[in-house]
Amino acid sequence: MQNWFSENINLGILISTLLLVLIGLGSIYSATYDAGASDFFNRQLIWAGIGLVAMLIVMFIPFRTLQLISYPLYIFSILLLIGVLIFGKTVAGSKSWFGFGSFGLQPSEFVKVTCVLALATYLSDKKINLSRFKNLLVAVSIVLIPIALIIRQPDVGTAIIYVLMLIPVLYWAGASLTLMLIIISPAAAAVAALFGITPFLIVLGTLLITFFVLKENKLISAIIFSITVLVGVSVQFIYGKLAPYQQKRIDTFLNPEADPLGSGYNVIQSKVAIGSGGVFGKGFLEGSQTQLNFIPAQWTDFIYCVPAEEFGFVGSILILILFAYILFRSINVASTAKSRFASLVTMGVVSIFSAHILINIGMVMGIMPVIGVPLPLLSYGGSFLLSSMLMVGLLLNMYINRKEY
Amino acid sequence: MTDNFTYHSRKNVFYVILGIVFIVFFVRLIQLQFLYSEKYGKMSAENAIRNVAVAPLRGYMYDRNGILVVDNRPAYNVTVTPVEFENKNLELLTEILKMEKEEVLERIEKGKKYNRFSPVKIKRDVDFQTLSFVEEYSGQLKGIEYQFEPKRYYPTKAHGSHLVGYIKEITESQLQKLGDFYRQGDIIGASGLEAGYEKYLRGKKGFELITVDAEGKIIGNFNDGKSDIQPVEGDDLELTLDIKVQALAESLLSDKRGAVVAIDPTDGGIIALVSKPDFNPELLSGVTPFSVWQQLNTDPAKPLFNRATLTKYPPGSTFKMLLALAALQEGIIDENWRVNCRGSFTFGNKVFKDMHVHGSTNVVEAIQRSCNVFFYQLMLKTGLPTWTKYGKQFGFGAPTGIDILEENSGLLPSEEYYNRRYGKGRWTQGYLVSLGIGQGELGVSPLQLAAYAMALANEGKYYKPHVVDKIKEKESKKIIKVEPVMRQINLKNEVWNAVREGLYRAVNVAGGTGAAARVPGINVAGKTGTAQNPHGKDHAWFIGFAPYENPKIAICVLVENVGYGGVFAAPIAGLCIEQFLYGEIIRNKLNQPKIILTKTEAEQIRD
Repeated sequence: MQNWFSENINLGILISTLLLVLIGLGSIYSATYDAGASDFFNRQLIWAGIGLVAMLIVMFIPFRTLQLISYPLYIFSILLLIGVLIFGKTVAGSKSWFGFGSFGLQPSEFVKVTCVLALATYLSDKKINLSRFKNLLVAVSIVLIPIALIIRQPDVGTAIIYVLMLIPVLYWAGASLTLMLIIISPAAAAVAALFGITPFLIVLGTLLITFFVLKENKLISAIIFSITVLVGVSVQFIYGKLAPYQQKRIDTFLNPEADPLGSGYNVIQSKVAIGSGGVFGKGFLEGSQTQLNFIPAQWTDFIYCVPAEEFGFVGSILILILFAYILFRSINVASTAKSRFASLVTMGVVSIFSAHILINIGMVMGIMPVIGVPLPLLSYGGSFLLSSMLMVGLLLNMYINRKEY
Repeated sequence: MTDNFTYHSRKNVFYVILGIVFIVFFVRLIQLQFLYSEKYGKMSAENAIRNVAVAPLRGYMYDRNGILVVDNRPAYNVTVTPVEFENKNLELLTEILKMEKEEVLERIEKGKKYNRFSPVKIKRDVDFQTLSFVEEYSGQLKGIEYQFEPKRYYPTKAHGSHLVGYIKEITESQLQKLGDFYRQGDIIGASGLEAGYEKYLRGKKGFELITVDAEGKIIGNFNDGKSDIQPVEGDDLELTLDIKVQALAESLLSDKRGAVVAIDPTDGGIIALVSKPDFNPELLSGVTPFSVWQQLNTDPAKPLFNRATLTKYPPGSTFKMLLALAALQEGIIDENWRVNCRGSFTFGNKVFKDMHVHGSTNVVEAIQRSCNVFFYQLMLKTGLPTWTKYGKQFGFGAPTGIDILEENSGLLPSEEYYNRRYGKGRWTQGYLVSLGIGQGELGVSPLQLAAYAMALANEGKYYKPHVVDKIKEKESKKIIKVEPVMRQINLKNEVWNAVREGLYRAVNVAGGTGAAARVPGINVAGKTGTAQNPHGKDHAWFIGFAPYENPKIAICVLVENVGYGGVFAAPIAGLCIEQFLYGEIIRNKLNQPKIILTKTEAEQIRD
């Protein structure tokens, strides 16, 4: 028994996850504390319970069954996404919820799970070769369909997460570096060009260095480079031709929360919260920034500043270490797993978590633009917590089956 | 492709990228929590920065001649910053603001939920005296300030209350639904154009980051105001409205219940839309005192109810043209078909009355003199399905699609309607006879009738009624023209000519019922109507258009519970037409006798 347990259960990831969920619950308790536990806390507690059960179930689903149900699950979840656009409830300007009384479900969160499974199932097929255009197109479409639907809600943050999942998974599945450069560099150039000349030049510079380091074929390099320059220049040209209000719309799209609410304020306050926490923090329920509600709706996207203020550097770094452990350990599992499916599912989850952590913590620390994306396992939100725990369930499942072919 | 060598090298790429991300986070934490922790600690202790929303000016509205109809003027709100508020000041504050303690506390509580450090509006639009008190006691009243916020102001004599609509403080449920733009205490359009064009009129809020010291005193703008976001004024609306016609119509209905709708038959633009009794929109341009609300809501005359678009009364004889058009177009009768009117009509065992004995009458004369017997017989000859079909073409039984949101479809009965209501085969042709003269189970709004008058005036061009002609976008400086939407009702020329001639004669030829609508120097065409009212005196209708040769205005007038349309509604229509076409009332200057009918003349007009 002892042997079986240590052989099959990835205790490190399991414990890190549970610790992060507990820290999240504590932070939500503190952020919404008003002479007692709030509704937010009680709801999140229920969701954490549901999430724990769901995580354990997913962990023990037979490996083959997961592969078999991945396409039907994917199709079902896409239908839910279409349904939410038609029948959904609008919350904060975004039509992304199914409401059942006082509980709501956000299908776009669960599609993350089904999308990773479907993509992994497709790419793990031995006949699939990403250098064939048709195969590449199918793989990209599996992710682009939900993106197209989510953009309509509109929820730009979640759509960005899907893109940041697709690219690493394609790379992991064996896409050549040339292919990755063809996909990434024009897109990066287009976005960078909107931010200004300097970011655009940085992208071009990085590209040149990459060619040099990789000793890429000169002709292909030249083609990719010219396409990138062309895309960047034409984006800037088109942007320059637009009327000021249209330019503003693009700015708002790139930086969705900056314009209407003055997000400068949120970020300033969140930096004050983190900074004033110092080394050891102000103590649980003692953070003045948190307790005095300086940061609107702190329990969702700005949750990281609660432990950062109340437990200081010690608390902040602990969270980073737990996340880093889960990610690095999982990459290791993915690289040693015997089956391609297990490896790809693990990398899909790793990419989604990494994207969330990068965007969210970067925003809260004031080094990334303000994009509304929550922090996995910590932020308030039932659907998101549940889907995050489902994904950890997948990581643990793949660990159990790492020796299966 | 599945070889571990690939994975191994690729693994390192991920390790490096993620490693860089976590190292950057680590360095940033060191920077914030070790190096700058003193600075941020101080800022946090002093709660040094406030985020204060700056209200934008709501868009202005102009009438078709460029007259400013809806304006803004400065007003001041008293605000409380919840965290600084001291309960010992509650007594003094409620005394100065003349408010209940509970109300003040409730507002502060709601504000706390969002942000205890953002000022919350306690009372809107305070008078000068209150403002001076707040200033006087500012040393004592910690956290209590006043804030500029523009208020709606209506510079003309007209109220336009149901057309322009009013604004009010946003409700909890609206806040939940509408998301990020609004905050508690914000103003939102509640009815009419204010609601229909809310997203243009509201503008964009600005935000100021204000630095305060430990005492809560304002030091200045954070970062020299570079982080502030300037408010953007709301977009202006250019209306098709003629505010002078609107004001005149309002004054003509001042002590009555009723409605006037005037439409431009060349594009469907609303010239005037009046519903009486109305309310003073200035009373509702912010926080409305409970007493005012209660008074408006319990008033038996229902001043908040928009009679111009929401009432559904039988249209009376104004509906006769519809039947005439249907029968002529379908070839059921021609212009020479005659009925001998003996003053009443017997169908089955029921007698349907007429007001006069009209003798031998053709379709033009029947419209001119409003002969009921003619139309009783014509209805039976035409039949319900054809009548319903033409009713639908002229927009009855459906909303017109006007851009002020609230309107009623009314009721246009069809065979299905009667089958549903009475059961198949359990209703007879006798039920239909009254429909021929616009009575019975039939409901129309003044707006629908005005649109019908428009289609009669311009020979079937049914424009969608609209009030906004152009939107002037402030941010892009673009002017968006609201293109008229038109649906052509195709009838033969001679059909239009016959009915229009009947309308001309009804006003201008002896024996017509609409003589009171005449305007000096202009040929008016029109038709009177009287809606039978089982609950009291009949409702008076008049629809018409002018000039007859080249119509520029179509109009519908409804006066409730007074009697005949020819007596009570037609004169109002005449004056509105005169005001619109001449820009003033000229009949007094011309030294012509006022068109006020003598008692005997009035007796003659029974329609």
